[in-house]
Amino acid sequence: MIGVVLLAVALALLLLGGLGMLRFRGPYMRLQAAGVGDIGGTVLFLVGLVFHLGWEATGWILVLLILFFVFTGPLSTHAIAKGAFVRGQLPRER
Amino acid sequence: MRTAVLAALFVTALTPLGRLWWGPTLWDRLAGAASLNVRVALALAAEAAFTGHGILLDVALAYAVLGFLSTVLVARFGERGER
Repeated sequence: MIGVVLLAVALALLLLGGLGMLRFRGPYMRLQAAGVGDIGGTVLFLVGLVFHLGWEATGWILVLLILFFVFTGPLSTHAIAKGAFVRGQLPRER
Repeated sequence: MRTAVLAALFVTALTPLGRLWWGPTLWDRLAGAASLNVRVALALAAEAAFTGHGILLDVALAYAVLGFLSTVLVARFGERGER
């Protein structure tokens, strides 16, 4: 039950992040929507898988996957934003 | 349950695909590609957990590592190269 709720919330977060990435203007706003939605959606999705299916079906590699996503999501977002800033993309006003 | 989760993940993966297709600059496309990589790795992990094929979890981990590395490499390349 908890697992289903977590999976639903995670999928809603992923969808909202993707919609923000489609609708926002400029690379920085899109990166913000994508970063927040991806990190929250990913962690909630994997924890929901553990809760829904039990520990035997998933194992330790899922914990490794969660840690990997938590640590490398901000890194890739920072790399993209730094590249955009260095190449002269300016943030928009509105 | 497995079909519903995978179908919902497919629907959420359509939005980064649209950003990858229509993005005006390289950085929009790169953000779309990174987000799409995350969703593909999630789909692999869900398939592994639902069907019990544990080898797919290793595949998902390797896919996530390669996606992160390719994102950072392309970002660093576009940062100093000439478009």
